[in-house]
Amino acid sequence: MNFPVWDVTFGAGLLIALVAILHVFVSHFAVGGGLFLVLTERRARRSGDQPLLGWLKFHTKFFVLVTVVFGAVSGVGIWFTIGLINPTATSNLIHAFVWGWGIEWVFFFIEITAALLYLYGWDKLDPKLHEWYGWIYFGAAYASLVIINGIITFMLTPGAWVTNHRFWSGFFNPTYFPSLATRTLICLALAGVYALITASVQKDRALRARIVRWSAWWIVPSLALMPAAIWWYILRVPADLWTSARGAIPVATHAVMLGGILFLVLLALAVFALLQPRRMHLAFALVVAIVALGAMGSFEFVREGIRKPYTIANYLYDNSVYAKAMPRDGGFNVDQIDQQGVLNTAKWIDVRKLDPADQVAVGHEIFRVECQSCHTTNAYRGLKKLITFRHWDQNEIQLMLGRLNLMHNGVMPPFSGTDDERAALAAYLSTVAPVVPSQAAGPLDGHAVFVRNCAVCHRVRPQDPLFLYLPKDPQTAVDALKSLPMLFPLMPDLKLSEEERIALVDWVNTQRGVAGAGAGGAKGGAQ
Amino acid sequence: MIQPSLIPNVDPNPLPAPYWVFELLLLVTFVLHIFAVNFVMGGGVLALTAKLGFRKQEKGGRIFFDVAKLLPILLPAAITLGVAPLLFVQVLYGQFFYTSTIVMAWPWLLVLACLVVAYYGFYYVSYRGKRHPGKAGIVMLVSVALIVLIGFVFSNNLTLSQTPSRWGAKYFADPTGWNLNLSDPTLIPRYLHFFTAAVAFGGLLLVLIALSKWERDREYARHVFQFGGKAFLYATMAQFLVGIWFLFSLPLDLRTLFLGGSLLATLLLAIGLAAAIGAMFVMARALRQEKIRLGAYAAPGLVALTILCMATMRDVLRDAYLVRLFNPQQLAVRTQWSVFPLFLVIFVAGVALWFVMLKRYGIFAGAKVPH
Repeated sequence: MNFPVWDVTFGAGLLIALVAILHVFVSHFAVGGGLFLVLTERRARRSGDQPLLGWLKFHTKFFVLVTVVFGAVSGVGIWFTIGLINPTATSNLIHAFVWGWGIEWVFFFIEITAALLYLYGWDKLDPKLHEWYGWIYFGAAYASLVIINGIITFMLTPGAWVTNHRFWSGFFNPTYFPSLATRTLICLALAGVYALITASVQKDRALRARIVRWSAWWIVPSLALMPAAIWWYILRVPADLWTSARGAIPVATHAVMLGGILFLVLLALAVFALLQPRRMHLAFALVVAIVALGAMGSFEFVREGIRKPYTIANYLYDNSVYAKAMPRDGGFNVDQIDQQGVLNTAKWIDVRKLDPADQVAVGHEIFRVECQSCHTTNAYRGLKKLITFRHWDQNEIQLMLGRLNLMHNGVMPPFSGTDDERAALAAYLSTVAPVVPSQAAGPLDGHAVFVRNCAVCHRVRPQDPLFLYLPKDPQTAVDALKSLPMLFPLMPDLKLSEEERIALVDWVNTQRGVAGAGAGGAKGGAQ
Repeated sequence: MIQPSLIPNVDPNPLPAPYWVFELLLLVTFVLHIFAVNFVMGGGVLALTAKLGFRKQEKGGRIFFDVAKLLPILLPAAITLGVAPLLFVQVLYGQFFYTSTIVMAWPWLLVLACLVVAYYGFYYVSYRGKRHPGKAGIVMLVSVALIVLIGFVFSNNLTLSQTPSRWGAKYFADPTGWNLNLSDPTLIPRYLHFFTAAVAFGGLLLVLIALSKWERDREYARHVFQFGGKAFLYATMAQFLVGIWFLFSLPLDLRTLFLGGSLLATLLLAIGLAAAIGAMFVMARALRQEKIRLGAYAAPGLVALTILCMATMRDVLRDAYLVRLFNPQQLAVRTQWSVFPLFLVIFVAGVALWFVMLKRYGIFAGAKVPH
């Protein structure tokens, strides 16, 4: 609201994910690969292995072309991208951690210089001096991870910073060390993964097998230790956030599953490479790399996913609204916007007056400043698909918007704004997905009623309040559903017809036996 | 109801050090950045000029490759040195910087795609160019064109960031970020001002290359010296016209700052001009008398003074553009004493280590430019 919202037609979140995942896949290699280079050089020199040294020279060139060029530019790329898509969060990270960024920049500068001198020094320098550059490279690269890790983990678990705003409170936050351990292992594993690629194109079979075996020794132990590091990480993530990854947000859930599967596949491929190093082929090495990219992408996706609805947990929502009022926040906090209205608060809005004739146009403006940093109408996280799936009409959309922060276990920020503005947003969204008459003829389907009206907040499992507190007696339950806020004050005031209520209660009662089996939950929560 | 201004509020976090610390860091790192950028852009332009201009002579190709092998080192220098001013400009002027980038989001983001392609192009020419000289020329042309384009996008963004009155119309007409700042009358002269400076720097780069070859291959070095020195002279002469155009494209109140309105601004302009004229005389004399050291040390020294003055003027101009809207000196400050000294220590140690690294490589010992 403070800044204009960039309208990325295919989805802003997707753009960040693309740039970020490609970058981290290279930047972790840039750290682990540095250690790999210098240790391999030492090993080759000690054993007088000239062919290995020859390959390592070639691998250094590959390393520099991948990390110094793509790694460095895509790192700036993430910065550009988050600045465009979430300038408020970026600005907060910059201002809170300027000196962290400054220190990281010094290491970055040393790192790039050392990488180039290491590359150009292969034929010129005394071996000891050459290795010295390698160690400096690795030291600087690892130091930059040590710094950036503090800022990345801060976003998920800002800890005491939210109240005291002290640099080190935010930096050494609850997930700092488990994340550093996890990322260190990722760095080491990726050093081996990338080495397989240049190893696989070596013509000398014996040499190739030697490198493959050595590279696989970087991957397998790192992967073997990783579950422990990730488990430590999970333990330090607040339980409610982790609940999201376990089921409340389907995207994060899918990413957890995908990540787990890819991790196991990667481990199996690496063990195979270790046992059968002579059978390494470029195609195989590329498959290993793609699987590793997928696994790593999933890991980052989960980390980002469970952070929702926040960009900086408990401080700043994904739509750049502050969770609580604080000095110099410009009034961009939930309470203030609820009181003053979006139209009076947002800077980058074209319409300031809510004229009933313009309701849809005003709603569109509100959509832009409040929803579009994550959602599109018809692409990534498209609302058309979601609303169509639930068959919501304008009134239902409006009611649901009033309870956004309860949806999917609380992964959405609350709607901030006045009731009239919420009505305008609902009017706009109803034009995005015009309601299609769903129940043409035939008996009402209780499951369909559940999906349409309940499933954004409730899930099919015994401990869900719907199953815990809805009376088991059908008639009592049907009557109780007449007024949802009477059942529980936070419920939206949805008016279900008598037929709908009967069908819903029937269906709920049939589910009580199977609730927790997960089938209905997965279906109901699929959107 | 009063229309709220489009200019975003400043960040709620106070500055973690006094204002002048950031202003100084921004200025110093920007000067270093623009040095490297100018060498890359100007070096690339002159390498292509040499290849085309001396097409029938061997030395044209030789100059081309002597410059080409430096570009994969100069470009990462430009990028790494660019990260720091990018950081500090966001600290002081974030509300202007982020907004203008969002208004022209796609050109801004595509800068990085262009940069990656140009970068790999430079590596291709450096590693494979001699084996495929024809292809190398085309690849170099594409890479240099992309670098020239990137500079243009930067000029668009920087001019747009200091003229908030242009934001609203552009953004509301196209919130998808396909905008530039072409209607700004200062854009073209400002950009040409930078481009011409880059060509002059390309000339200085050639003079430095000539110096490195002076003892070993006098005839070739003499040729490179003449070519580079003249390029520097012609570009700097042209710069006087471009500079005047730029000055007169500025709104009257801003222009007069440099013409007596502000003592600092006028002084900076005078010193910058004097140093540039001095550099031209020194270079002309060095060329006439074939004194390579005069051309390779005294002229760049004077040019460095000019750049320092011009970069400071650039800051003065930006603050003058924004004077009615924002004064960074009024930002809230809460110095982070628990980490700021650590930054200073690491910064100094890092610079020292950097010099030790170059020294041990032998770069200061002779003309052992890495390759």
